[in-house]
Amino acid sequence: MFYGAVVIAPVFQSVNYSFYDWNGVTAARWVGVQNYVSFFTDPALSAALGHVLVLVVFFAVLPIVLGLISAGLLGRGRVTGAAVYRWLLFLPQVLTTVVVAVIWKRIYGPDGPLNEALRAVGLGHLAVNWLGDFTWALPALGLIGTWSGLGFCMVLFVAGVSAIPNELYEAARIDGCGAVAEFFHITLPGLRGQLAVALTLTITSALRAFDLVWITTQGGPGTATTTPALLLYQKAFENPNVGQAAAIGVVMALMCLAIALIITRSVEAKD
Amino acid sequence: MAIRKRLLAAVAVAAPLALLLSACAPGAVSTQPNKQPTSVSKNIASEGDVTLKMLDTFQGGDSTWVNAVIKQFEAKYPNVKISRTTQNFDQVMSTLNLRLADPNGPDIATVNNGWQSEGTLAQAGLILNLDKYASLYGWKSEIPATMQRELEFTPDGKQMGSGSLYAVPTARSSLIGLYYDKGILDSLGLPVPQTLADFEADCAKIKAAGKVPIVYGSEDKGPNTAILLAVQDLYGTAQNIGDFVYSKNGSSGKIADTGIVQAAQTVKKWADAGWLTPNYAGIQYADAVNAFQSGKGAFRFEYTGTFSFTPAQQQSFGYVQLPQVADPSTVVGTGSPSANLAISAKSKHPDAAAAFLDFIAGKEAAQLGVDQGDLPLLHSGLSVPSNNPEFATEVAGQNALDKDNGYVPYFDWSTPTMLDTLGTQLQLLLAGRATPDQLAQAAQQDYDKFQTQQKNG
Repeated sequence: MFYGAVVIAPVFQSVNYSFYDWNGVTAARWVGVQNYVSFFTDPALSAALGHVLVLVVFFAVLPIVLGLISAGLLGRGRVTGAAVYRWLLFLPQVLTTVVVAVIWKRIYGPDGPLNEALRAVGLGHLAVNWLGDFTWALPALGLIGTWSGLGFCMVLFVAGVSAIPNELYEAARIDGCGAVAEFFHITLPGLRGQLAVALTLTITSALRAFDLVWITTQGGPGTATTTPALLLYQKAFENPNVGQAAAIGVVMALMCLAIALIITRSVEAKD
Repeated sequence: MAIRKRLLAAVAVAAPLALLLSACAPGAVSTQPNKQPTSVSKNIASEGDVTLKMLDTFQGGDSTWVNAVIKQFEAKYPNVKISRTTQNFDQVMSTLNLRLADPNGPDIATVNNGWQSEGTLAQAGLILNLDKYASLYGWKSEIPATMQRELEFTPDGKQMGSGSLYAVPTARSSLIGLYYDKGILDSLGLPVPQTLADFEADCAKIKAAGKVPIVYGSEDKGPNTAILLAVQDLYGTAQNIGDFVYSKNGSSGKIADTGIVQAAQTVKKWADAGWLTPNYAGIQYADAVNAFQSGKGAFRFEYTGTFSFTPAQQQSFGYVQLPQVADPSTVVGTGSPSANLAISAKSKHPDAAAAFLDFIAGKEAAQLGVDQGDLPLLHSGLSVPSNNPEFATEVAGQNALDKDNGYVPYFDWSTPTMLDTLGTQLQLLLAGRATPDQLAQAAQQDYDKFQTQQKNG
């Protein structure tokens, strides 16, 4: 009952709102699917969806690939100081996004450590305003996501690797597999479950990206880094257009649901 | 079996959904505009013990000022207590609509001018129409007409700039103008600019001397527009800017008349000449404010009340309200009360609340502000501290505006989204991704869209 009251009822309410033109206080006006149509007609919204696709690469694809590599390296062999690496890489995961965003805002600043470092090694011509540059702002944001997502993926995969029976690896070695073949034939298939979890969580976190963007760029420069969640916030609270905000929320929820379904289905199908 | 389960689940989801969709439109309950108190009175003492809840955005020095004002008010009306809740501007603005809809919400609240806040609340009948109190306390004769216009909405809540008063200004003002660092100007032997041409001549020389002429950071949308609005006031006439913002019937509603294109061209020209702080695109607002105050550049366009100068800095910084380019004898500037207070339509003690609104707009309150170096509003003949030359220049700027009645409303009040639109477009303009005309077009589009909505709504 409680769950129904605090989760399910608001969901229906949002769906309901999304069919209205409403500023939050005065009488609402029924507009049918107009708020959904604007996903195709409003360039700001479609641009935001495009940005999210880029973020998915940085938030999901990169951390998972890097996580797999580091799990391959840290998981099996006896690397000196493996625990220290693990601890260091997991650190971003326990930091609040706000803290992460503030730290990186400094790092990316015009005279921040990143540009200072570039200048120090004679690459001063590469130093740009990372978060203020139309080309670089989105990738720069994405890299923050990669940095904070990596630890999570790695810990997940390292745990997964340690659950793979040793016999499999021994058998593989007897069959003459090298480290690379071992990774592709045993480690990767053995991590399918963890991969599904990592993919679902990281992709949805890319779709929901708000706090990081809000604190670092507010969607700027121009509209180079807007995300649907950012527009949702602006439309729900800053410049009340609650119906449109609700429509964005509903579409985001459906996308997250669809992605989760596709991923779990494809993992189940192989089992 | 599995299919049947899913079917059931689908029905379970769809049934209440269909019910809800057919049932209710949100927010349709009791939203008639033009809420008025039935009878008004100055007799506060007869109300017994009253506690007024106030939700406000006064921070820093302003907060000290408000506390001093409340203390004097409570001394004057011993049966009234005011309990303040202070939050930053964004927090209050994003929750104000809901808080005022709450029967136990605040009695008094700061509302922002324009459609983002006051207009919407007036339209929804969440704040009181203050006309009866205005005649009771004589506000209409005390508050300058241009400033009243900033706070008026028609009874149906559809038009700004005429109709009834829905909020009262506090006795503190906020302008946009040009700050200068006299230390830097003196070291290069440059005069304090009195016109835009002077200013540009100074900038060229400061640049040649290897210093930063204009301290600027454009990373934060919103505050980055102060420079644009300040320059706009040098080109557009007060009449045209006002009519555009208030979307006055009969005004052309053409943004090209407001000087915004010339302003955008000018700012872009300065950026191309290298007069802005290097790497301004990556500099945050707060960092730019700090940079100017710590002597990293000669000029900065800024809202008054933003800087808090130390006694030493008060000797070396100054403020000037530049006159119009076409007619240097006229001064036009963006200016408004630093805050406006409204009374909740749900307040049980509107008379006491109105008494406070009258007090905080009064001369005693203005003097309390001046005592701590903040620009007063509505009142003259206040005693200005003599050891603060910086403040004296701000007062001079304000007097120039008073003389010509040159106040124009903040341009971004014109639509709920205008500030964001301008902030975004300015970033695009400076990066060479939009022309001054495109900036104006984007703002016009924002404006037209809102006007259509107002007509349909």
